[in-house]
Order: sequence, then structure tokens, then C-alpha cells
Amino acid sequence: MSVSDSTPVRRVPAGRSLPLGRRARPLRRLGALAGHAGLLALTASSALAVLFIFFFIARDALPFFRLRGLRELFTGLEWYPSADPPAFGALPIFVGSGLVTLGAILVAVPLGISAAVCLSDILPFRLRQVVKPIVEVLAAIPSVAFGFFALVVFAPLLQKHGGWILAIAWWCVATPPLGVAAFVFGDAIGGRFRSERAQGRARLAATLLLAAGALVVLVLIGLRLRGIQVDSGTNALNVSIILGFMALPTVVSVSEDALQAVGRELRAGAYALGSTRAETLIRVVIPAAASGLCAAVILGVMRAVGETMVVWMASGNAAQIPQPWYNVLEPVRTLTATIAGEMGEADQVTGSARYHVLFALALALLAIAFVCNFVSERVIARSVAKYR
Amino acid sequence: MRARRVFDRSFTGLSLISVVLVGGALGVLLVPIVRRGLGAFVFRATVEHRRMLWEQFGRGDAEELKRELAEVEQARAPLYGMLAEFEEWLEGRPYGERRRYAAALAEFKQALRKLLGPLPGEPRPVLPRERYGQTRWDRAREALHAVLYVERYDYSDPTQMGRLSYVPRAEEFRATPLAPAFACLESNAARMLQPRWTIYWRFLFDRPVDAYVFGGIWPAVLGTLYLTIGAVLFAVPMGVISAIYLVEYAGDNWLVGLLRTCISTLAGVPSIVFGLFGLAFFVNTLGIPKSVLAGSLTLGVLILPVVIRAAEEALRAVPSTYKEAALSLGSSKWSAIVRVILPAALPGILTGVVISMGRAAGETAPIIFTAAVSAGPALHLWQTFGQPTPALPWGVYNLCTEHEAVDEIRHVQYGMVLTLVALVLLLNGAAIIMRARIARRLAG
Repeated sequence: MSVSDSTPVRRVPAGRSLPLGRRARPLRRLGALAGHAGLLALTASSALAVLFIFFFIARDALPFFRLRGLRELFTGLEWYPSADPPAFGALPIFVGSGLVTLGAILVAVPLGISAAVCLSDILPFRLRQVVKPIVEVLAAIPSVAFGFFALVVFAPLLQKHGGWILAIAWWCVATPPLGVAAFVFGDAIGGRFRSERAQGRARLAATLLLAAGALVVLVLIGLRLRGIQVDSGTNALNVSIILGFMALPTVVSVSEDALQAVGRELRAGAYALGSTRAETLIRVVIPAAASGLCAAVILGVMRAVGETMVVWMASGNAAQIPQPWYNVLEPVRTLTATIAGEMGEADQVTGSARYHVLFALALALLAIAFVCNFVSERVIARSVAKYR
Repeated sequence: MRARRVFDRSFTGLSLISVVLVGGALGVLLVPIVRRGLGAFVFRATVEHRRMLWEQFGRGDAEELKRELAEVEQARAPLYGMLAEFEEWLEGRPYGERRRYAAALAEFKQALRKLLGPLPGEPRPVLPRERYGQTRWDRAREALHAVLYVERYDYSDPTQMGRLSYVPRAEEFRATPLAPAFACLESNAARMLQPRWTIYWRFLFDRPVDAYVFGGIWPAVLGTLYLTIGAVLFAVPMGVISAIYLVEYAGDNWLVGLLRTCISTLAGVPSIVFGLFGLAFFVNTLGIPKSVLAGSLTLGVLILPVVIRAAEEALRAVPSTYKEAALSLGSSKWSAIVRVILPAALPGILTGVVISMGRAAGETAPIIFTAAVSAGPALHLWQTFGQPTPALPWGVYNLCTEHEAVDEIRHVQYGMVLTLVALVLLLNGAAIIMRARIARRLAG
């Protein structure tokens, strides 16, 4: 901690005009040292806030484990904290959190990564300057506004026209990739023939056949989805979609950074070998940025797990495991929503298991966040080291 | 080769579609919020709205209102006359018939009260929401429909849910003195309520009347401003000083590494955990009452990592020549930082501060247990240390989930969401513009 080395005061020869008198020198050094210490203390206090948070959550969570043990919380299926006798089985709540997070990731990751690819490699510079603020605005919108949208606009729509919405979403999502796949595979099959004419015919036939197959799949699955009745608009599906769009900006910006970090040389090399842009991206850039993309997914998970308002407002808040577990059309309840919803009532009974169990859930949430953060940091650090 | 080219094209197309989808999602979210949110500010206000403003806020033109009320009364008189006539007629009917009509009459009167306010001769209701008829013409049309038609559910098909159909209420009163009242109401509704396009910009600055049924949202707006500014007052000095330390003083040792990890971990803590922390630490341990102060401190901790990161970036972006020049002129390190580096980094730091303000304004979860109440008066500055306040994000949640008349105050909910979103987006827009200007200055 040798600040004084870097202060120029010492290097000024004695007798020249000093900013301060000579006697002030030791005082000033002392001051600099004290200043440094003060700065460090302030920085430490703001950094250690996280440990502070951990401590205070853990302090109020421990009494619960002392009262009820660990097993019930993590394996029990019954969640009746205010009943007599109370039941604190939070497994359905963990499953609910996991389910909506999984759904959110399924929405956010494909969309986010392809948007990031577009931003970093495909759009011209000017357009990029337009699209980036859009992503930023999406990130800035308060979560309660998303929750309001989910509850007031999206939920009634889903309840009324659920089947159609599912079918149209399926068609929008599946048509382009299936079409591309049919064309590419058709071409590949055609390429196996020797003569030019046979190639042309086989290509056409295979492509048509595959396209017809894809169409049948599209229509059949779409019709099945259309027949689905959505009993309640506030369910895991609704929340998953909204959460997916909330996690999107995180995924986009982190994966864009990762794609940018790959650097020009690799891309130029791939182009020089004659690959098209798509091939460069898929075979070279994305594998090279894989760890960064991984970090993007993890941070997206973190965003989705920790989100409160949307799930509280629009998930239905039923502490039960959907039957079967992946049935997203049933209402679920998540960790965050449980804490937000029950603390209001439990607050009056400070010291009871009912109060402390919420801190235990928060501790679990905190643990998830820490692990995600740690892993993503490691992954990013590794990928940065690789391309230095 | 052709396939490769097509694959390339379609790959480009797919990723373009994803970008369009992102933009589209933003549009789908914002369009209803903006469109219906504006409905809280600009709408066709009925005479009841003007009466409410006069009685609750003392605003409006007394003479004009008096004249209008007289006109309205004149328009409503035939309707009320028919009602009185019907009641008189009913008095003279046999008991069975009287009983048969009693329920239908009560229902009709209730629907009519909802549309036009208390009926003549009735005592002044205690609840403000019962003192006035519909203040908005769009709501009035729905209330009118409820007067004219009765909801009937058809359960004849046991395999299906009940099918809703509307039956004219006139059928219930066929061949009674009340029968012509419905046609009269339908054709004269506009004259009875006098709808007029109004810009109610005071929606932002009026206090709510009777739990947001009438009036504006000022206490919530003010509460959000208090909370945001309080959070910034707490987080910015801490954050900027930490950033100065990390950029200018910190070496590359394990302690600094630990500090950095802690800060980035802090950024990843879920917002509801901040709320619990605020409850456990600020409220239960330090004994600060549930108040703006406790909420501001909690939000301050929440935005601390954002501020630190932005300030760090801004400080790093200052060219090192600035510092070197200052040091070579004999200034001490600290004065070089304060006089030269900080001013140069100030726009960047301000950008970060503005973004973090947007974040603090929009967060709900941290203030649920530490600062927010669903209804209350606007606080004076000195009350912020000891009293909880209504706030926009909490108000939005509360009004659309827990209010007893959720469907009737949709416009207030939308207005509130729009206010919040506009506030946050204004802050972020300012930040984006500021950043663009900084970038241009650094480039040029």
C-alpha cells in the first residue's frame, strides 16, 4: 500500500516551491495513507454488502432448519405453512421455479443467440445502432409492467384463444427451420447421384418429398395444439414466455460480447478457406464463442429464477407439481412468488417457522444465484484467457 | 454449391427474423400500455366527472357546471318520473305480483345508480364511488348496457360451459309503466351524461379519491420519486468512491479480486432477496420503521453494483494523458483525481447514475416489505424518515390484483403503468443520448 511512492510531492527537491510547507510533509503522507485506508474501507463496505446480505438471510433461515430439519423442505409435497399442524414441503415450489425457468430459457436462448449473431455479424453498422437501443429498452422496462401485461393482456387472450395461439406460435417457430432443413437435405441427397440429370431430378424429388413431410408434421402438430383448451390464462406457459422475453436482453448482450471477442482473424481465416458466412458462423465463430454463450445462458437462467413480479402476478400461484411435470398449462408457484406473497402475512409472526421458512427459501435462491454467478464468471474468464 | 448459398441466405433470414421478433415483442408489450394508458389522460368525461372534480378538488367553472347540471336533471327527469310512477303503480298491485317485481326492480335501480349516481330522494352515500355516476363515457356505455340488458347463462348443454346471452331488461317490465323507460334511457343517455373530450393531465398530480376510483396518482408518483432519489443519494457517493478506488488505487492482489467478485455477485442477487434483506437488516435489526428511508437504503444497495460498474468504465475511459499531465504539473494524486479525472469522467458517470435511477424506480420486490403501502397520502419531505409511501410499481401490482373493483379501474392501472414505463424509458433514453454524445466527443 505504498501510495506515497506515487505522489509526486516526495520527488520534488526540498527548498523548491512545495504545495505545502515542509513540516506538512509527514502529515500529508499520513493523510494520503489515511485517505487510502478510508477509500479501501468504503469500497470494502460496498463490496461486502453481498456477504452482509448472505449473513442476514442465513441468520433468519437457520432457525427454520433447527425447528424443522432439512428433509421436509426439500422433499415434502405439501405446502401449508399456515395450517395446524403446518406443512413446509417446498418441492412443488422448487419444481415450479425450475419449470418456468426452463420454459423461459427455451424461449430466450434460441431467439437471443440468433439475435446476437445477427447483431454482431450480419446487420450493417447503422442498423446495429438502431437495434441495440431496442434491446436496451426491453431490458429497462420494469418487471411489474411485464407482470401487468402478462396478467391483464396476455392471460385473458391465452384463456380465450389458447389453442390458436399455440398453433400459430408453433407454425411461426417451426416453419422456417423445417423448410430450410427440407431444402438442404434434399440437395444433399440429390448430390449423391453421378450424372447431372439424375442429380437434378433426384434433388427436386427429394426436396419435394421432404417438404411434403415437413408440411404434414406442421399441420398435424398444429391441429393438435389448436384443440387444446386452456383452463386458466395464468399458468406456467404464460410466465415462461414473458420471462423468456425478460431474460432476452441479458442473453443477447452477453452472447454478443462473446461473439465479438472471437475476433477478426478466425473469421477472416474461415472466409479465406472459402466458407460462406453461415458456415463461418456455425462451424467457426459459434464453437469458438461456446463458453461465452454458455455464460449467457447461465445469466439468463439467473434472471429468470430471480424474477418476482411476473411470476407472482401471472403464474397462478398454486403450490403443486403439474401432472405430468412438464404440463405448462397448469398453474405453478415459484420461490420468489412464495416469498413475496407470504411475507406480508408471516411478518406479524416474526420468529415462527412460517416466518423463517421464507428466509430458508431466500437462502436457496441466493445459493442458486451464487452458483450461477460463480460458474458464469469462471466460464467468461476462461474464454477471455483463450483469446488473449 | 447452390445449396450452400441457399443455406447461407436462409440462415441470414432466420437471424433477421429473430431480431424482428425482439422488436415485435417490444411493440406488442408497449402498444397496449401506451394506447390504453393514454386513456387515463385523454377521454370523454361525463358531467359526473366535472361534478366530482368540483366537489372533491374545488376545480371547474361553477356557473357552467350549474347550468350543465340543470340540463342533465331536465334530461333525466322523465326517466325518474317513470320510475316513480312504476313504484306507485306497484303499490296498488296484489302481494304476489309485488314480490315478483321487487327483485327485478332492486336490480334495475342498482344498475341505474351505477350509471347515473344516486337516485333522486336518496340520502347522500358515504362512499365517494357511490356518490357519482360514471365519470368516463366508455365506462358509462358499459354501465348503460348493464341497465338495458340482463346476463343470462344457458346451461342446457351439460357437456359445455354455460353460454352467456343478453336479454333486454325491458322484457322483465313488459306492460308496466316502466317499459318505456328503457327506450328513453337508450336514446337520451348522451344528454343525461353530457360526454365531452377532456384532457385530464392532472391525473398525474391529483390525489386519489376513494382508493383510486376517481382522481389521480400523485402520492404514488411522489413516492417513487422519493425512493429513487433516496436510493441515488445513498448509492452514488459509495459507488463512485468505490470505483475510484478500484480504478486508481487498487493493485492486482487477492483482496481486490475478492472485492470485484463480491460486487459482481451483488449484481446477481435476486431483487426479492434484497427485499428480505432490507426487512431483516434495516427494519428488524436497525429498527428503521417501514418507510421511504428503509426502502431507499434497500434500493441503494440494489443499484450499487450498477453505479460502481458504470463509474469504473467512465473512469477507465479517461485518457491516461490527462492524469499524467496533471501529475507532471505537480498536483497530488488525489487532486488530479478530483480536479481532472472526475470532471472528465462525469458524463459517463452520470449516464450510469441515470440508468440506475431507472432501475430503482421500476423495482417492486425490494420495496414490498420495506417501504410500500397500497394507499396513503402524499408525504412531505420530513415524513419520509418514518412513514411508508404508495409507489408506482407497488401500486400497479396492488391495483390489478388486490383492488376490490379491478375491472372498473382498468384505466387507472393502465395510466399508472404508462407513467412508470414512461418515467423509466425517459431516464434510459436520456442515458442513451448522453452516451451517444460522449462517444461522439471521444471519437472526434
